[in-house]
Amino acid sequence: MSISSALEQLASYRARNTRASQDTFKKGCAVLKSKVSIGDDGWAFLEQLALASIDVGRLDIADECLRQLFNKFPNSPRVAVLSGIRREATDPPEQVLKYYDDLLKMDDTNAAAWKRRISILRRIGKIEKAVQELAQFLDTFYTDADGWLELADIYSSCNQYTHALEALSHALALSPQNPFTVLQFAETAYTSGDLPLALKMFLVVIDMSESDIQAPQDNPPSGICVRAWWGIKLCSRRLMESRSHPGSASDTRLPKNLNLIDELATERVLTAYSGEQGTQ
Amino acid sequence: MASSYTISPQAYFKVFFHAAKHPHKPVNGVLLGNADDTGAVIIEDAIPLLHQWTGLSPMMEIGLDLAGQHAEANDMKLVGYYQAGERLDDAALAPVGEKVAEKVRAGFRDAVAFVIDGEQIGTDSAALIPYVPQASSSASWRPHSSNVQPFSPGSIFQLFSNDLPSRAVALVRDDYSHNSFGDFDDHLEDVSVDWLRNRTCLPADI
Repeated sequence: MSISSALEQLASYRARNTRASQDTFKKGCAVLKSKVSIGDDGWAFLEQLALASIDVGRLDIADECLRQLFNKFPNSPRVAVLSGIRREATDPPEQVLKYYDDLLKMDDTNAAAWKRRISILRRIGKIEKAVQELAQFLDTFYTDADGWLELADIYSSCNQYTHALEALSHALALSPQNPFTVLQFAETAYTSGDLPLALKMFLVVIDMSESDIQAPQDNPPSGICVRAWWGIKLCSRRLMESRSHPGSASDTRLPKNLNLIDELATERVLTAYSGEQGTQ
Repeated sequence: MASSYTISPQAYFKVFFHAAKHPHKPVNGVLLGNADDTGAVIIEDAIPLLHQWTGLSPMMEIGLDLAGQHAEANDMKLVGYYQAGERLDDAALAPVGEKVAEKVRAGFRDAVAFVIDGEQIGTDSAALIPYVPQASSSASWRPHSSNVQPFSPGSIFQLFSNDLPSRAVALVRDDYSHNSFGDFDDHLEDVSVDWLRNRTCLPADI
């Protein structure tokens, strides 16, 4: 592994916000040791290494990165939040909650500090308080799609699927081009028992993902489409099996050609496995 | 509940690798095996399911179905469920876990569930907390209560051999075995991932 390829990988992790802490730590330390000049991305790199170090329990490296960042940016809210995350690793939660509180008192636009507060509340089991604060946060910072996704996740973990779907609708409104949000919506709808809605949204995922492919029927589905086709197969099979008219909390109507959809989904799933030796 | 439950190296390593591969995420999967003539349950294998959206059911249902078919094709049954929580101190069996465990119990009366003990994993301890269904009809699963610590001498829960935890740690730390391991979520992104068998991650003597 050369230093330049390590830097490339680290930059790619930063761009996609990937949490591959073991690998980041290994490559980041090699870069630090090499003392090569990183240029403009140097500070983002130190932040990234600090986070990875905290994740793998190497607080010594994290402290070194923080020291350099603090020297360069003594009044930065971003460094202050990073310092908070470092404290979360060792200090009692109530103390760190207070720390973020103080940050917010100084600067109530520090959204990151607020989100860290909420994540601590969730971590220590204060789910109701976390939801309350998150709802307040989203009132102020409505366009934070991640916040809506987090809210949906908390609701799902408490089996409150209707609220989860509401939160996901906001996330969808903010990032309508993101098929993963649609997929999460479809799977949540299925879990809540609304099969017609789930089926509709799984089909939307396919529509979104294949819209730029010339002849999708000629190729095996890949990536997110495999998951979506499985979802369509599952929904259509269950809908056809149930004799009585399926209820839909969202009043979504069934597609007219359910059996054709089921056939298509079966073909697509089997095709996804074509060329694989022996696997199901 | 069976007279005893013994976990094979193959099953233990796979559960361990699953948790090691996704340290900051919840993971879950099912356990495969059989009961012998005396009613003792041998847990021979594990099939990992999810590490993402573990609270949502569609992929879980599909994975469970496929795992069940694989078990049958290999003369085994689904005998249990395992999960690891997101947080180290979270040793509860999640609602989803209870549902799956109940489903497994419908097909195997002595089904058992294990929650990975986040505080103990990485030590010499098995770090698995057994959950069993309660006798009352308000079927909620609780940690198995007994005077004997699970996986210690005399417990009805045993590992094939007591060096499995330390071997597992070494395999992850030195050989990065967990990197050649994949679950159903991984398989859905890349169908060449052999989530049902996962042979490549296992050491040669298993």
